[in-house]
Amino acid sequence: MDTLITHSSILIIAIPLVTAFLIPLVGMTSKKARNALVIVSLAFVAFLVFALAKDIAINGIHIYTLGATSPDLTTPTGFMAPVRIILEVDGMSILMGIIWSIVSLAAAIFSFSHIASETGQNRFYTLLLLMVTGGFGMMFTGDLFNLFVFLEIASISGAALIAFRTKFADTQEGGFKYIVVSAIASLMVLFAIGLLYAQYNSLNIGALAQVIQYTTPDKIALALLLIAFTMKAGMVPLHLWFPDAYSVAPASITGMLVITSHACMYAAFRVCFTLYGGMLGTSVVGWILIIFGLLSMFVGVTMAVFQKDVMRFMSYHAISQLGYMWVGVGVGLAVLGNPALLATYGRDAISGGIFHILNHAMYKPLLFFTGGALFYCTGTRDLTKMGGLAHKMKWTTILYIIGTLSISGIPPLNGFSSKILIYESVYQFHPILTITGIIVSILTLASFTKAFHSAFMGAELPEYKEVKEVPRSMIIAMVILAAGIIFITLFPALIVNWIINPAADALINQGAYINAVTGATP
Amino acid sequence: MEYIPLNFPFLAAALLVGVSFYIIIFKKNLIKLIMGIAMLAAGVNLFLVSLGYRAGGTAPIYTDVPEGPMVLSVPQALTLTSIVINVAVLALMLTMVIHIYRHTGSLDSEKSRKMKG
Amino acid sequence: MTLILESGYAFWNPIILIIAFAVVMVVVYFFRRRGQKKYKKDTAQTQIFLCGEEVPEAGQRHIRVGNIYWGFFETLKEYYNQVLRPHTGIINDYVLWFVAVTAISAIILLIAG
Repeated sequence: MDTLITHSSILIIAIPLVTAFLIPLVGMTSKKARNALVIVSLAFVAFLVFALAKDIAINGIHIYTLGATSPDLTTPTGFMAPVRIILEVDGMSILMGIIWSIVSLAAAIFSFSHIASETGQNRFYTLLLLMVTGGFGMMFTGDLFNLFVFLEIASISGAALIAFRTKFADTQEGGFKYIVVSAIASLMVLFAIGLLYAQYNSLNIGALAQVIQYTTPDKIALALLLIAFTMKAGMVPLHLWFPDAYSVAPASITGMLVITSHACMYAAFRVCFTLYGGMLGTSVVGWILIIFGLLSMFVGVTMAVFQKDVMRFMSYHAISQLGYMWVGVGVGLAVLGNPALLATYGRDAISGGIFHILNHAMYKPLLFFTGGALFYCTGTRDLTKMGGLAHKMKWTTILYIIGTLSISGIPPLNGFSSKILIYESVYQFHPILTITGIIVSILTLASFTKAFHSAFMGAELPEYKEVKEVPRSMIIAMVILAAGIIFITLFPALIVNWIINPAADALINQGAYINAVTGATP
Repeated sequence: MEYIPLNFPFLAAALLVGVSFYIIIFKKNLIKLIMGIAMLAAGVNLFLVSLGYRAGGTAPIYTDVPEGPMVLSVPQALTLTSIVINVAVLALMLTMVIHIYRHTGSLDSEKSRKMKG
Repeated sequence: MTLILESGYAFWNPIILIIAFAVVMVVVYFFRRRGQKKYKKDTAQTQIFLCGEEVPEAGQRHIRVGNIYWGFFETLKEYYNQVLRPHTGIINDYVLWFVAVTAISAIILLIAG
């Protein structure tokens, strides 16, 4: 068991990678064996993630050096700097890992029925597992170039999955937009990595953070990294590709794409807090995040009220909800140089933002899955053609209501507990942030009520007489996420104390991250 | 022995990046857009590989090495990885463009779009 | 208490609201039980009553999404005209936005940061 935990961080990345290429082989023999293999590998990865989370809670940051004689040998003998690829998992990374393991498991279960009528399903699961690999790699790596590689793995497989249903024209367009935007964003990330490497001769985040000077090329590199990652995460005014790509993907993939957005957001936080950290003495970067976050919240939700396509409408809501996280963490970043303010409300703001990531990662995939269930039953995403579906799809209706109440921040559901953390803390920074947040929350409820009315309420329509409840595997996937929502609803303080606060401290405490790489020479 | 000025590769990389952004933003043909992205990748790769260049240096191979400086090997490794990734990206883009053309009969980014707003 | 979330000035306990919700449900159930049980099935008593007018078909009766919040959109017409303008759906424009925002934030960082 100890050996397993020591090597768990690389196993979490390697198991989906190896399984991905076993899938076509197993899929040739039997469909059931393939599905079982997908579930078993993802469940084992989830088990490893939770075991690693427990280990990190007890022993602190987990380090794994690839290719070294011992996993904690970060600096090879005879070298002054870490030259090997290092995986570094701290509180924030493992929080993202927990989210990713749960959502990818649910998405795989959801896919079994959702894409059952498509051709080339073996390749679908290969790509899905590759995307899982890319996501875990982005979350766990301690190396900038590795971050770029895993970002590309996640983008390429994600784009291929968006365009998977080639019989529709709009999927091709959405996939193309996604891959163009990802290619440009990742090339700019690579350019910024080149700028940093040229000056400091290192690619390790911890080693770079130790020596970084904040010179002019560093500032340009920061702008490139920040905007590239925020574009991949879908921040207004760089969100334009986001609804195009997310609304056309198979619903299970849309649920996973939301988490890749969160992974890019995590990378942006990692760059701001860990790589630059103490160098950002003034609050300019924090203000950039806050202003764009406010724009995201407001523009996202007003565009969402306007939409008539159910998946597109939910995609705009994802943009709007991401705005809350940018604002919460941006306030924390703006007061990072001021320990007194950081202790008063900065840390709470960061905690609130991160807690909202966890909550959003539970309810938004759930809502996308219900949208996918509607598409599965009616064959259309157009809300104007729907109506009266609650008579036929009772489970979907109940799960949709849970997701709606949660995303709108209706107490006692989990969306409220993170929103109150954000509201209370950012109010002390500037009241306008809280006011905008509450207005956006009201508009969110209004637009979800509209969609609920037009899809589920009303008399049974004649064209949907034959509609049945969705297959069991889709309901199981939705129930997994709904169970997550209920659990967080009932024990918010437990979650905040055990998972969220360590993650916020991991972001704030830059020194611990650096020491784990450079100080731990045996 | 004459060397090229050390800043020259960086200027070329900047030119490539600038031209490719011009192509990506102003050319409506999707194939031209993909060519722009290929050029952007080439510009970034040129920037990376010229970071490791030392004037008069030899290739970083440790057997039978002559006297004098050696070029840095890490940027070359990075560039190689980046080239491989970009091949995959470009292939995927071209596949999607074929499908877009089949469905809409157009390669113009404005005429072939179905989604807006 | 591990059930109470504290943040600055506020505290938050979901259990109180769940108990309140349960109480409301009991009240609702109480009122529902008092309803009339002795109606005649399959007669005019179970039909929809619309001031004596003829009730339209199910498809006609349902208020579709395009008609909901008409006043909201009418009031904010100017805002929507402005906010829809960048949403062109053309991939070239998306890249233009990226270049512009990167350039602006780089300049801001160089001057102020």
